[in-house]
Amino acid sequence: MTAIWRRELQAYFFTPVGYVYMGVFIALSSILFHLQILQQRSSDILTLISLMSYLWMLLCPVLTMRLMAEDRQKRTDQLLLTSPVSLAGLVGGKYLAAVTVLLATVLATTVYALVIAAYGALWPGEAATGYLGFVLQGCAFVAVDLLVSTLCRGPVTAAVAALGVNFSLWMMDLVADTAPGWLSGVLSFLSLYSRNEPFLMGQLSFASVLYDLTVIGASLALAIHVLDRRRWR
Amino acid sequence: MIELCQATKRYGPKEALHAVDLRIPEGCVLGLLGVNGAGKTTALNLMTGYFPPTSGSVRVDGMDMLTQPRACKRRIGYLPEQPPLYDEMSVAGFLTFVSRLREVKDRDIPGHVKDICGLCGLEEVAGRPVGKLSKGYRQRVGIASALCGDPPTLILDEPTVGLDPRQVVEIRSLIRTLGETHTVVFSSHLLPEVQQLCTRVAILHQGRLVREGSLEELQGGSRRLRLEALGAPEKLLPALRGLPGVQRVLPQETGEAGVTAVLLECEEKAEISEALFRLLCALDAPIRLLAPERDSLEEIFLRLTAGKEAP
Repeated sequence: MTAIWRRELQAYFFTPVGYVYMGVFIALSSILFHLQILQQRSSDILTLISLMSYLWMLLCPVLTMRLMAEDRQKRTDQLLLTSPVSLAGLVGGKYLAAVTVLLATVLATTVYALVIAAYGALWPGEAATGYLGFVLQGCAFVAVDLLVSTLCRGPVTAAVAALGVNFSLWMMDLVADTAPGWLSGVLSFLSLYSRNEPFLMGQLSFASVLYDLTVIGASLALAIHVLDRRRWR
Repeated sequence: MIELCQATKRYGPKEALHAVDLRIPEGCVLGLLGVNGAGKTTALNLMTGYFPPTSGSVRVDGMDMLTQPRACKRRIGYLPEQPPLYDEMSVAGFLTFVSRLREVKDRDIPGHVKDICGLCGLEEVAGRPVGKLSKGYRQRVGIASALCGDPPTLILDEPTVGLDPRQVVEIRSLIRTLGETHTVVFSSHLLPEVQQLCTRVAILHQGRLVREGSLEELQGGSRRLRLEALGAPEKLLPALRGLPGVQRVLPQETGEAGVTAVLLECEEKAEISEALFRLLCALDAPIRLLAPERDSLEEIFLRLTAGKEAP
């Protein structure tokens, strides 16, 4: 798994993918920081995190699109699947590489918290809870999009499909608002956005943590299952 | 040693391989022959654990590929028909990655990669990106990656296909060198190549194993004898046609008067030399030459794959 993690991490920076992802994320989050914090003279980091969390929806597909689909397209999966590495190690290594880039990007955004702390009022506990939710949500998006990449034959298809899936997850919230009672409850329960709302109120919700971890675990398990099933066909 | 035991592989309704029993002994160089669609690549993919058989089993050194995949895969290096390479990586970087993947200890990797580069003639291009290499060098990198982790068995799927003649000679020479220290299994369309490199041959046709053995075994079971005897053909030919065990008598040109030259096609396992000797003694026709006529690999291959070509 370590070998795969290292290779995938290198691949992000051998190709423009890693730079594009980090560059665009930081550029867009800087705009949000300017609009929400600097222009409004606000110290409300949770609102900033809430706005930044929508970037996961747009940018996680960039991070995950080639993870599995490119191996399938270029047939490099033959190298991986005939090596002494388990399917869990293969999927886990790739997932952790994407999460490492994601964490590096999140780390870069902590500069906003430092600016707020220096020139405004920052509640460290509140900021830490917000960031925890932000990271968990990002990790969940990466896992879901990695599953999508496993199902697709090429990186471009994987990116478009992942964008569609992420958009649908976001739409769940909008649909939930207008849906009848029980359906609204189900959609809200499943939504990656509404389930993370407690974090954005500064609450450390174990239910939300568990939910994110479940989404991650289930998506990765499904990706492993898809790879295994494909070998039997 | 690799064993396919009643290995069958179906892709949906299509059966690509049917109940193949194949045992590849240690230290041999086995050529897997077959027309397009015969099931060669499927057989190789089963041996490497790329996918499991629909039924039957694959065993590597006595271990089942399904229950002990990692231990089995450690013992096999694989070069698919299209080498699986990461174009953006350097040759040395790629081989380092594959060595890590194949569980070579970190401290041993630089020396291991250097040795493999030396063996495969890659020292000059070790720092270049794989994507910038010629097809011949890419093939070498593919073979080098199969050598990472020093597996005792190498499986190469059509390793010389698409190469220019000089590259073909180089890759064959490399396979010959590797065959001295490894068990090598490779598939090919090229019969002279198999004849040059292999000690054993397995022929697949329409997903079935139709023949397997050493080249001598395949060619030695000849059913044809070349005979030259002193005597008029009008006298000898009818007598030879009546000899038990002889199926066909094919007259051959000799250019000499009073000499009969024929090719005798005999029934499988028929032992006719004694009867033939007695017959020709009775006819007062001294034998000048009696020798088994060996089938070429090409003739054997064409005979065994004479059925309808697989789609």
